[in-house]
Amino acid sequence: MIGLKHFLLLSVVLFAIGVYGVLARRNVLGILMSVELLFNAVGINFVAFNRYLHPEAVWGQGVALFVIALAAAEAVVGLALVLTVYRETKTVLVERLNLLKG
Amino acid sequence: MIEAIIFVLLAALTLVPALLVVTAKNVFHSALWLVLSLTGVAGLYAMLAADFLFAVQLLVYVGGIMVLLLFVVLLSGKPSDWAARQVNEKSWAAAIFALFLTTALGTVIHDWSVSAIASDPVPTTGMLGSLLFKEMLLPFEVVSLVLLVSLIGAVFFSVRKSS
Repeated sequence: MIGLKHFLLLSVVLFAIGVYGVLARRNVLGILMSVELLFNAVGINFVAFNRYLHPEAVWGQGVALFVIALAAAEAVVGLALVLTVYRETKTVLVERLNLLKG
Repeated sequence: MIEAIIFVLLAALTLVPALLVVTAKNVFHSALWLVLSLTGVAGLYAMLAADFLFAVQLLVYVGGIMVLLLFVVLLSGKPSDWAARQVNEKSWAAAIFALFLTTALGTVIHDWSVSAIASDPVPTTGMLGSLLFKEMLLPFEVVSLVLLVSLIGAVFFSVRKSS
């Protein structure tokens, strides 16, 4: 029988994969993709708690909706920044983005 | 029994592409794997009886954000970047940290005694609508403002200086 814990464990593994991607990827686009994985892991958590602990209301699903909307806003601004930075520096590798280094 | 099989299939559809997202050499392939992983998450939402979120995940994430991401992947980066090493020198530390996170949180969840019984699924679209327009009205309006600001911000950042 599939229960709450199965979904929580799945979302932990997905979150850990996303954390590894954020810490290890050199490509700034790869880091943004890993952030999307983190958002999705959190969304699964919200919906699973909603389903198993408070099935009479849909607050968890509402918060997951907000997470998706804010992820869209984050992706739009982040990708515009990536394009601008790429036009200026001709690179997408984060260790070369050291314009602020004294 | 059939529920367990579907869960395992959806978990594999989510986690295997997610692993490939963070390990693929070509960042374009990463983006394509991310599409598959997000589709798996949409399936998990459907399994959790969140029918409206299932549709939103497919429409907004798979249909919107991912297309944007694929455009940017194609517009930025040289072919030489695609052959470059994709992880930094400290990736072993990141892997150890991710493993530690999995073990620690996994232990906490495993030892947690919770009695959670799922009730029969009901359609949630109407409940979500009344939630968004009654209790969550203020956050809902704030999100529309955030989206407007991010739109203006994207235009502001990407406009080319005519000097």
